[in-house]
Amino acid sequence: MKKSEPFRHGKFPGVLAAGAGVLLLLPLAGLDAFLLNVLTLGFLVAVYTGSWDIVGGVAGQVSLGHALFFGTATYACALLTSLAGCPFPLAAVAALLLATAAGAAVGTLSAPLKGPFVALLTLALGEAAHEFILGQTFFSPQGGYSWGGEGGIPVLLRVQPLSPWTAYYAALAFLVLSTWLMLRIARSEEGLIWTALSGSELSARASGVDVLRYKRRAFMFAAALAGAAGVGFAAFVGRATADDFSLELSFQAATFAAVGGRGTIVGPVLSALVLHSLLQGTGIPPAGRVLLYALALLLTLRFFPGGVAGTLRDRVRSRRMVAPGKEGNR
Amino acid sequence: MSPLAQVLVDGIFTGASYALMAAGLALILGVVKVVNLSHGAFFTLGAYVAYVLEANGVDHPVAAVVMAAAIAFAFGVFLGKSFINPVRSHPFSVAVGSLGFAILFEQAAQMLWGPHPLSIDLGAPLATLHGVTLRRWGVISFLLSLGLAGGLSLLLSGPWGLPLKLIAEDEEIAGSVGMDVEKIRYLTFGAASAVAAVAGALLAPAMAITPTMGRVPLILSLIVVIASGMEKVWNLFFLAVGLGLLSNVSAYLLAPSWSYVLLLAVICLLLVLRPSGLATAGPGRDY
Repeated sequence: MKKSEPFRHGKFPGVLAAGAGVLLLLPLAGLDAFLLNVLTLGFLVAVYTGSWDIVGGVAGQVSLGHALFFGTATYACALLTSLAGCPFPLAAVAALLLATAAGAAVGTLSAPLKGPFVALLTLALGEAAHEFILGQTFFSPQGGYSWGGEGGIPVLLRVQPLSPWTAYYAALAFLVLSTWLMLRIARSEEGLIWTALSGSELSARASGVDVLRYKRRAFMFAAALAGAAGVGFAAFVGRATADDFSLELSFQAATFAAVGGRGTIVGPVLSALVLHSLLQGTGIPPAGRVLLYALALLLTLRFFPGGVAGTLRDRVRSRRMVAPGKEGNR
Repeated sequence: MSPLAQVLVDGIFTGASYALMAAGLALILGVVKVVNLSHGAFFTLGAYVAYVLEANGVDHPVAAVVMAAAIAFAFGVFLGKSFINPVRSHPFSVAVGSLGFAILFEQAAQMLWGPHPLSIDLGAPLATLHGVTLRRWGVISFLLSLGLAGGLSLLLSGPWGLPLKLIAEDEEIAGSVGMDVEKIRYLTFGAASAVAAVAGALLAPAMAITPTMGRVPLILSLIVVIASGMEKVWNLFFLAVGLGLLSNVSAYLLAPSWSYVLLLAVICLLLVLRPSGLATAGPGRDY
């Protein structure tokens, strides 16, 4: 399935440039601090969702434990700065490495599995990590506060925190840069092999691809990016909680990606940004938000079972060619 | 000795209901050929139905079971007919969608009944043998689960099970001999969901009733189904009782949250160690 096709030669970059222009202009146009905050978080969520799409969309390895990589990075940042007293940049590098290592581990374990069993294994690994982290308590070096679990651990920046404006522009730059990187790699030879894996593992293997290795690499790359989003989140929010590992967060990535069009990278990134900002900005409580995500997901999957991009392409194609029978399936 | 003996007896009692739930999941995997992650939500639904009935003065297990089964059957048929059937051939949509339904239900339950654990009064002990207490609800749930699992196995080996077996074996032949395959599929989905809700209603007094309580039995039934396949109902039964014991004993010896972690570790090990053995358990042709 060549999922990235619709946006490959299309008019999307032009629209994207306009969107970037609007986003650059917004703070100057007097956006209030709350919405600025929502959008900054939205940029980070968008990167996280895009990283899910690398492994879940482009490479077709449906991961339901993506929060594991995000949480590993936020927790590493928090523990290293607050407990071990590392400076933040060092902790950030360590967090990235740890997240990548987690990606390598999950990728190695899940590589021999197929279809729903990848989803099952990643779900179980993510839940196990969440449950483990939920039960861990740490004691702060000074004062002996108990940290961990739902309350979380603070992240010590030790420098002047960024102003809302700087944070906004930094997160936006991070989003643009990582989207460019993801598109680049998805269209490189590496990404082509990942796409081949998601189409038919058997034919990829028949053409001499080391399937296990490429699956693991897809997981590692995605985990590194999710970790980068996690580092940004830790720095911006200033706290790592057990929720960073939660099933809801993993599910949220799959939801945004499914709604935006799995495997297109730009689609998931945009849908994450738009849905997150809309639902956060309107002040719906967290439980209601997850409820709406799930509803949006079910409706999308029901009416676009082959993915938004895939089903649309099939429809366009079948209208052009009037293919008998097989329309809409695979 | 007696606290541990009590835990063992309770473990066997709860294991019987888990077996019932796993049998439902196996039925879905066999006939509908999907890995259904919403099974735990129906368990939770059953438990909340039992709680609400008990809170309103109806504390007979059979009433809770019938009510839970009816509600879950309705939702199960809806989910099976209007969601699972149309997206069946797309593993991504099935996995994420059924999880989505489960999360939808968890959030709805949290809005309706709150995130705090609720509990049902266990009732007076029925009898005490060597310091081990047998409670009315436990005995009834054990016998009912045993009866339902036995009945299910009988039903499937009789003429009623034939269409299901045929669909599990080859859906095209089943369709060509005039069976309404889609209808049998969503009815099976509904029935299996009802069975999960019955298990939830029966186990409600033995557990803390929370919106996410269905995750543990979901993982447990997934393990049972993956490890034992779906041919032999009794195999499935003993495995479920064994895992029920494991989770109860680990909750007693370590902490309640450990039983979940332990089950998750078991399923990870199972998936990692037997990747090739799973091909037979899943929907075969698509990958």
